[in-house]
Amino acid sequence: MLRAIAEPNRRRILELVSSRELSAGEIASRFDVTRPAISQHLTVLKQAGLVAERREGTRRIYSAHTEGLIELRGFLDQFWADALDRLKVAAEQTEKGRNR
Amino acid sequence: MTPTETSSIAREVRIGARPETIFPFLTDPDLFGRWGGAATLEPEPGGIFRMDVDGAHIARGEYVMVDPPHRVVFTWGWEAEDTLVPPGSSTVEITLTPDGEDTIVRLVHRELPSKESADSHASGWEHYLERLEIVGAGGDPGPDPWAQRATADAG
Repeated sequence: MLRAIAEPNRRRILELVSSRELSAGEIASRFDVTRPAISQHLTVLKQAGLVAERREGTRRIYSAHTEGLIELRGFLDQFWADALDRLKVAAEQTEKGRNR
Repeated sequence: MTPTETSSIAREVRIGARPETIFPFLTDPDLFGRWGGAATLEPEPGGIFRMDVDGAHIARGEYVMVDPPHRVVFTWGWEAEDTLVPPGSSTVEITLTPDGEDTIVRLVHRELPSKESADSHASGWEHYLERLEIVGAGGDPGPDPWAQRATADAG
């Protein structure tokens, strides 16, 4: 379930367009992966209805509806999983520091 | 449809540190910021719990129980208006259980809206969940009737 947002680059794209509209080029410029790869991610997100696309001349502009997305149980599940992983790293660093 | 239909999230992680080392990460704002996000914390019953989840969305609640170094309970919800999960509506419980030299950290987030109650919400995210499942399985969910409505003029 929720494979469309499970992929890390797609999650990052959603985060990027959650607060403001961005063109496909602006989105691609923030990633190391190829422009076609970004286009493919955008297509999946668009098909799933998670981002909206509009055209401005030859540019395609994207935006997300994350107020709704963030309600998803899947979002929180992933958020807490990532957070606990960060807690593990930080706490283990502190523990090592104490034992030194 | 009753508003009491809820579900919960449970997560566990084994950490190579003692509960006494880990506990301050749940109550000290600087330490909390290293894993959960920038936060305002008043770690006593009734005290503020407020965290910046992703730079755009703020979660707010109150500490219910602070029992060092074993357990922390706080309420949790989005500060935004018109949310399915308003402040106070859900509860997060974090327990630290020593296991040898490690600690098992268990996080349970309770009283979240179930899929069924989310379905009745005006934003209709069930609609998108279904489409996501189709796309995730490699299928084509067809044109989104809601998006079509929005882009009909541009077409």
